[in-house]
Amino acid sequence: MIHVSQLTKYYGDYAAVRDVSFDVAAGQVVGFLGPNGAGKSTTMRVLAGFLTATSGTATIAGLDVFWDSVEVRRRIGYMPESCPLYTEMRVNEYLHFRAGIKGVYGRQRKQRIAYVLERCWLNEVERQLIGTLSKGFRQRVGLADALLANPPVLILDEPTAGLDPTQIRSTRNLIRELGRQHTILLSTHILSEVEAACDSVIIIHRGRVAVQSSLEALKTRHGQQEHLVMVLGGLGDPNDFRGVPGVMDLRITPSATPGTTRLRIATSEMAELAPRLCMFALEHHWQLIEMFVDRPSLEDLFVEITEEEEASVGV
Amino acid sequence: MRPTLSLIRREFSAYFFSPIAYVAIALFLTVTAYLFCLTLLMLTERGPDGVSYSMELLVNNVPFWLVFMAIPPLLTMRLFAEERSTGTLEMLLTAPVRDWQVVFAKYVACYIFYVLMWLPTLLYLPVLTDWKWWTLECGIDPWPIFTTYLGVACAGAMFLSIGMFVSSMVKSQMVAALIALFISMLFVVVGIWRPDLDTSDLPYRILFYFTVPLHFERNFGRGLIDTRHLILYGTVAFLGFFLTIRSLESRRWR
Repeated sequence: MIHVSQLTKYYGDYAAVRDVSFDVAAGQVVGFLGPNGAGKSTTMRVLAGFLTATSGTATIAGLDVFWDSVEVRRRIGYMPESCPLYTEMRVNEYLHFRAGIKGVYGRQRKQRIAYVLERCWLNEVERQLIGTLSKGFRQRVGLADALLANPPVLILDEPTAGLDPTQIRSTRNLIRELGRQHTILLSTHILSEVEAACDSVIIIHRGRVAVQSSLEALKTRHGQQEHLVMVLGGLGDPNDFRGVPGVMDLRITPSATPGTTRLRIATSEMAELAPRLCMFALEHHWQLIEMFVDRPSLEDLFVEITEEEEASVGV
Repeated sequence: MRPTLSLIRREFSAYFFSPIAYVAIALFLTVTAYLFCLTLLMLTERGPDGVSYSMELLVNNVPFWLVFMAIPPLLTMRLFAEERSTGTLEMLLTAPVRDWQVVFAKYVACYIFYVLMWLPTLLYLPVLTDWKWWTLECGIDPWPIFTTYLGVACAGAMFLSIGMFVSSMVKSQMVAALIALFISMLFVVVGIWRPDLDTSDLPYRILFYFTVPLHFERNFGRGLIDTRHLILYGTVAFLGFFLTIRSLESRRWR
């Protein structure tokens, strides 16, 4: 659905995006991830037709964003970062106006406006001036606007920035639901969001694509397995645990509480090993204080990937 | 076409949300009303005083030109500068409308407002033409009035177009207004300054080409339609329109 190849954008001498290529298949929700200033917004602006690329091409639904800009814009719902709106208009007036310039008229216009008001929980503020709305409501108006013409592709630039935790959760759910009907490219630098809402992820760093893959593949590819972490009280030699069958590797890591030992155990048979370790601990008079499975978070992966990138660039 | 209508409607209604428009209308109507009173006094004066053409005093007059010059920048300053400073331009330019449609809609909206501003002055016409209600005839030749209005309509198109172009270049409305005012002044200043030149001299003829008050004084106010002036207004208006589209387009690749 979205196809970007070797996209480069210079602001003067500064390359905001360098040689970025990626694909988004129809019906996917893709998280576009990267630290601040990585080039996320620039890439999205190029896709939405607000900026033109210095070189490279991008197509949406088979149409070139440069040559068929207006047709492309008909097919996308774009929500810019920080969501600028006409503050002197009322919510329904604004949506009416946006529907007009997006070519939605007549009965359809009424239906779509009613639908997006409902969908984005805007019914209660329908008659309110946009200028008097809180940040969260404004974001929703922006999202409602993106949905107005029922476009096949949604490009959302930081849809949850500046929202409170409940709003973030509901927005996330909404995006999940919308993902059934639309192809969505959403940018963020909040990783838990990507984990919660997206099928796959594109990590962009210093204007380049560092990784593009599904979330699952990303975790396994980066070789970070799950670890079993045990916090033990007692005076024995923790290295005894190496003898338990199934323990592949054991590291003793610093523990937060004094007088306890923290073990980080690598294994391939998580389910079987845990009870065995418990038995072993009891038999050898250890106090088992805590035991849990440590899964690598996207956060760790992200840091790892961006650091790798930096090392390879030689910065 | 319908997206353009939507845009025009929003741009036009946006004028009534800001105080500037009301200030502009009030200022303009106060000055024209004052000049109308003056004209009335002159017309009813006994003796050799008076005016030779009905709208002569209205348009051959320094206060009028100062106001006339100041109003288009007030109307155009917000067109693009406001959208740029609040960031709404991004929303507008990513909607499925072409750049020229946006520019056209904004220009038309602001021109309609300009026309609206002039409409109340039509109330003076029955007096200025010495309109006789019972015979439905004019006591004074209405032609100079018609040409004056034609000149006003065309000169306004030029000044508005200049203002719109400036607004598309800058982010601050204040700066937009000041620069537009400065450029408009180039077209007006000779009419206020009135250099002591022989009207057949080359310098005067050059100045005359682009000095709007002189056009009104010598041609439109007297009932003459000089196409040279109309062509100047039309060309500059078109140029401003064209440059605005280009300036908007350049946002994209900059």
